[in-house]
Amino acid sequence: MQIAVKNISKDFGKNKTAVHAIKDISLEVEHGEFLGIMGPSGAGKTTLLNMISTNDRPDHGQIIIDGLDLTQLHDRDQAKYRRNKMGFIYQSFELLDSLNVKENVILPLALNRSNKKLIEERFNYMMQLLNIENLSARAIDELSLGQRQIVAAARAMINRPEILFADEPTGSLDSKSATILLNYMQMINKKEQTTILMATHDAFTASYCSRVIFIKDGVVFSEIVNPGNRDKFFEQIINMQRTIGGGDYFNVSQNY
Amino acid sequence: MGVTISMYRKIIKRSLSNMRDSYVIYILACSFAIGIFGILLSMGDNPSVHLALHWWDNFIYDISSIMSGLFAFFAFIYMAYVDGFFIKQQRNEFLTFEKLGMQRWIIVTLSFFQTAIVQAVAWIIGLSLLLIFQKFMGMLLFFLMQVRFNFEMYLGWDNLYILLEVFAVSTLILSLINAIKTMRILQKKKTKPLVKTRWWLRIPAGAFGIILLLSAQICTAYLFKDMRMISYSGKPLAEIFYIMMDDIVGTYLVYYGFLPSILDIMERIHSVAYSGVNIFSFKYMKERLFQNISILWFVTELSALALALLTFCYFGYQAVHQNYNSAYPFELAANKDTVKVIRDELHKNKAKVKGSYKTEVKINLVSYYSKSNQTYTRQPMTFMSYSAYKSLPKRMRKGNSKINSHQFLKIDYNSSLMYSNHTNEHDIEVKNAPMIQTAKWGYSFPYGSSMHFGPMMIVPDKYYQKMPAEVTDTFYGWDFKKGDRLSRKQLQKLNSYRDAYYMKVNFKSSLEKSNIEVMKKEPNKYEAAIYTQSGFLRQGSIKKRLKQGGGFYLFIVALFSVALLVALGSVLTLRILLRDDYQSRQLRTLQKIGVEESEIKGIIRRENTLTFLIPIVFASLQAYAAIAMFDFGHHISKNIILIYGGYVILYGLFGLISFKISWRGVKQKFSL
Repeated sequence: MQIAVKNISKDFGKNKTAVHAIKDISLEVEHGEFLGIMGPSGAGKTTLLNMISTNDRPDHGQIIIDGLDLTQLHDRDQAKYRRNKMGFIYQSFELLDSLNVKENVILPLALNRSNKKLIEERFNYMMQLLNIENLSARAIDELSLGQRQIVAAARAMINRPEILFADEPTGSLDSKSATILLNYMQMINKKEQTTILMATHDAFTASYCSRVIFIKDGVVFSEIVNPGNRDKFFEQIINMQRTIGGGDYFNVSQNY
Repeated sequence: MGVTISMYRKIIKRSLSNMRDSYVIYILACSFAIGIFGILLSMGDNPSVHLALHWWDNFIYDISSIMSGLFAFFAFIYMAYVDGFFIKQQRNEFLTFEKLGMQRWIIVTLSFFQTAIVQAVAWIIGLSLLLIFQKFMGMLLFFLMQVRFNFEMYLGWDNLYILLEVFAVSTLILSLINAIKTMRILQKKKTKPLVKTRWWLRIPAGAFGIILLLSAQICTAYLFKDMRMISYSGKPLAEIFYIMMDDIVGTYLVYYGFLPSILDIMERIHSVAYSGVNIFSFKYMKERLFQNISILWFVTELSALALALLTFCYFGYQAVHQNYNSAYPFELAANKDTVKVIRDELHKNKAKVKGSYKTEVKINLVSYYSKSNQTYTRQPMTFMSYSAYKSLPKRMRKGNSKINSHQFLKIDYNSSLMYSNHTNEHDIEVKNAPMIQTAKWGYSFPYGSSMHFGPMMIVPDKYYQKMPAEVTDTFYGWDFKKGDRLSRKQLQKLNSYRDAYYMKVNFKSSLEKSNIEVMKKEPNKYEAAIYTQSGFLRQGSIKKRLKQGGGFYLFIVALFSVALLVALGSVLTLRILLRDDYQSRQLRTLQKIGVEESEIKGIIRRENTLTFLIPIVFASLQAYAAIAMFDFGHHISKNIILIYGGYVILYGLFGLISFKISWRGVKQKFSL
């Protein structure tokens, strides 16, 4: 087991206006697992992901990764941990507009002051792996949305993170780009044995996971394990979404 | 209708709240300016000022009015310029309102009212500052002028009316300017294309800028030498003009050419750029510099102006003070003819004498070639022995060259208030005494330059004893505790003793044949060769006037310098705070992907340091020329360094505050 989340909770606001975003959630994630976190809008998916990725602190509970309780670390050490062990893909890409594609991708390695040779090697490997060598000198505003998300994925993966966090990674993409990105993520998960935690409300996206947990009103409502057949898994996800509400059958990609 | 108005009110409230840090700085800077303007305006009208400084007549009122007008003008320009930053910052918001279907005139009206509200708040705080600090500032003025008088708080109806009028007119104009700016934003719509580094243009421009700045520095070195020629040559003026133009143009070209280019070069050196946050910070700072080059240049030139003003004021004050000190070194001085009367009067009013001095002098005829006037001169000269000279207080020798007991010292009037001619005199013939081969130079007259006519010579004791004299006299000098206390009546009585005696010099073919004829009575007809010996000399009212004038001068200069500093500091701070949305977003992104807060703080610190450091370094280099203008090269002493140091420290304080606020703003966005 790589990640153990124990009884975490998080409130936003104070007193009467307080919102209980996460209520006493516990879960475990194995090394190399591709975990999906689903639920209707406002269920607490992003909050849960932010807490596991140390971008936010829980009010209560523990988050233990590889035996280390991250909630006990200082902000500075959390940032270091985040930089060295984790990668991030966001719906809004979070690419730096003032840097070009290459600079964006190598950013995590440069931040770690890696040597230039390693930077070039890893960059070339990632660009080949994701088949985007032709984009390296382009400015960010010259890329399509799909290309931006793949560049963001390359950045997230370049320093071989042990855990990849993806928050609605296909939210801004058309179905074709979404499929390409998900295939890449699945490939990375298998090839590099990277643990992936992905928050999504899209059943098609979630069907790429090995397991999906459903959150509703800040608690884990249920979970489904991929039986090995994606069509069946997709149906199970849709059914569960119907049960908890907030999901939409017609949200499914037309290309599926 | 009510709902709509409530919505507009919320929009304005939201805009003000979003930029609250920046608005607070702007409002405080404006309030400070309004407060100072009000204080200056009301001071001229204040009855206690009129009563305490009655013999300045309308001078204080006139100066206060002129200064407050000048202050208001510059403050208005500052407000109009800086207020535009906020409108620019709201560009996207205004365009979104229009996209959502809001009519243009409503958006323009919103911007108009937003400006009016900010101005109103600034005026309310400014007027409160006026009321709170008027007494304090008045007391400070009286303290600096060394006037022991109670400053009464006063704000006349006339001044109140003027203040309200200025408020109404300035607010209306500023709001209109911003409304027009908003209109232009809505009409243009297109965002400015990103400025690109054009190496082929920037590098030559920057190189030319450096050449200009270097040539300005070389010219400054020449100015140190040439400044003494200012009274008869146009060269120093041409040099000053050249230095000013070189500095102004050169600085801009260097900023334009090199600031982004240096970062561009650094960015291309991968071993540096691909290390840590440099990969981002070089580009980020380059973008910020592109946006701020004109402002950095503007602040540099104004800082140089502020430093130059301080330099002028310091040396101007020094020159006046020096002139006063050499003219009136004793509180009261007399000669042998008036000493008895003066002593009697002092005895009558029980003046507390702190120190009294007495020196014998001889008056003889001399002839020499004057280097400063470039003429052959024959005149009477007062001689004093070295030991008598040394027994006087040290302050009598302040402006004189140091001499030993075998050397000669010629003390003469300074031809210019500012520039001293430090060359020795040679071959001075003295009637019936050995020729003086070399005499050192000085301008501090013991007993004061007005105490007698012509130059003075300090000679070795032996020379003094042996030399004959056409006229002998004795000078007396007194220092008192709390002044000489001579009443007006006593002074009227002493008035008839102002001139002790008159000397008519009969110049013949040689010095030996020439002689001095002493006359007790004032001659009916003054001729060129008739000289007057003063009976007594009194600091009295002149001392008072100098202290008060100096205090008033210091008050005004300090106010203007602080105001300039506040204006420049706030402009830079606001430029740093008002980042474009995407620039703030990028910092947030860095945090999200695991950049430590301390590293992001480092980027903000670097940006802040660059923004504040560059102008002050260039401004100090330029202000150096101001020192050169006074030819006091060897006097660039502690005082001017202290003045510059004080300015730099206050400026640095602004930099520090700016960094703190800037980081606070960024951190607030992190927690969103």
